[in-house]
Amino acid sequence: MGETLVIRQPRLGEYYERVTQVLTDAFSQMRGAVLDGRAVVVVLDDRDLLGQGTVADAALATGLLGLVRAFALEGARPGWRVNALTHRGEEGDVEDHLDQLAGSALTGQLLRVGTEHLGRVWP
Amino acid sequence: MAVSAASSERGLAVVTGAAGVLGTRIAARLAEDCHDLLLVDLDPAVSDTAEKIAAASGRSALACVADLTSAQGADAVARAASEGGGGVVVLVNNAGITRDGRIGDLEEADFAAVVEVNLTSAMRLTLALEDLLADGSAVINMSSRASLGNFGQANYVASKSGLVGLTRALALRWAPRVRVNAVAPSLIDTPMAHSMPERVLEKLVSRIPAGRIGLPDEVASIVAFLASPEASYITGQAIVACGGRSIAA
Repeated sequence: MGETLVIRQPRLGEYYERVTQVLTDAFSQMRGAVLDGRAVVVVLDDRDLLGQGTVADAALATGLLGLVRAFALEGARPGWRVNALTHRGEEGDVEDHLDQLAGSALTGQLLRVGTEHLGRVWP
Repeated sequence: MAVSAASSERGLAVVTGAAGVLGTRIAARLAEDCHDLLLVDLDPAVSDTAEKIAAASGRSALACVADLTSAQGADAVARAASEGGGGVVVLVNNAGITRDGRIGDLEEADFAAVVEVNLTSAMRLTLALEDLLADGSAVINMSSRASLGNFGQANYVASKSGLVGLTRALALRWAPRVRVNAVAPSLIDTPMAHSMPERVLEKLVSRIPAGRIGLPDEVASIVAFLASPEASYITGQAIVACGGRSIAA
């Protein structure tokens, strides 16, 4: 097992035309990692999962979360470890949780740091 | 510039992917609900679809053959939609494709094609129509239960999950003027479902608590509801229509 692949959601702002390429690149990176036996953690902005930012950032964040679920589902038998972690702007808060998630046997999990997501839909 | 909905009884509805089975049923249902139609598809057969629906419903139904993966295609739809002068009251982003494959085998080009058609093109068209959307109008994005995760469809899952984010962001951005929602069907009786091996389809249907595949008319009814004033307090939501599959073991 090598180093964990950490994919941090890039900010697209209003550049929605980039969504296809960024998701495709993420897919390729994630595939390469899991086939090498590496764990994957995708770090997302929780606000984008709820659509509180731009259209492009929301589409990208939820698209990446979909990828995490697809990889975890398909990788259940071979033991791929693919998870998502969210923050709300202060990404430094997630580093400890990121290490814990990367080192665990969990897969297909969405860990939402903080409490501001409570009372809102589960993405 | 916002325009008001007044040119026809319930205004113009734009439906993409309208040459397909599901798009046709959605369009026909919206015509029954007194919407005039602009039907969009890459397939020229959409012209026949428009003629048939117009004949059956008595509503105006125009066809627009356009490739929504380009800005020119989206602009062509916007020009066609603006010709009536009454704005757009309903937009249904229904166009979609599949290029299934296990993650280890999926070509990058197939991954990108599905995301581009199902997700990025929906964003492109919706934003191109922004100034034409009438006060009180509704946008409905066709997502999928697969947005929650599915085997052998990483590209489709990412695209349909992305559509849910798109739905939420536009709902917040355009509230209270425009409502934006998504429908997330599971197996529906369309050529897309029947493109899989029969034994696989039977196995999937056996896992659906409702005990059967869904019907295009059932999805069209949800779209019609979300498009109607009956859904006036619903925005930013994804309605999962899966016969209970998303909660079953």
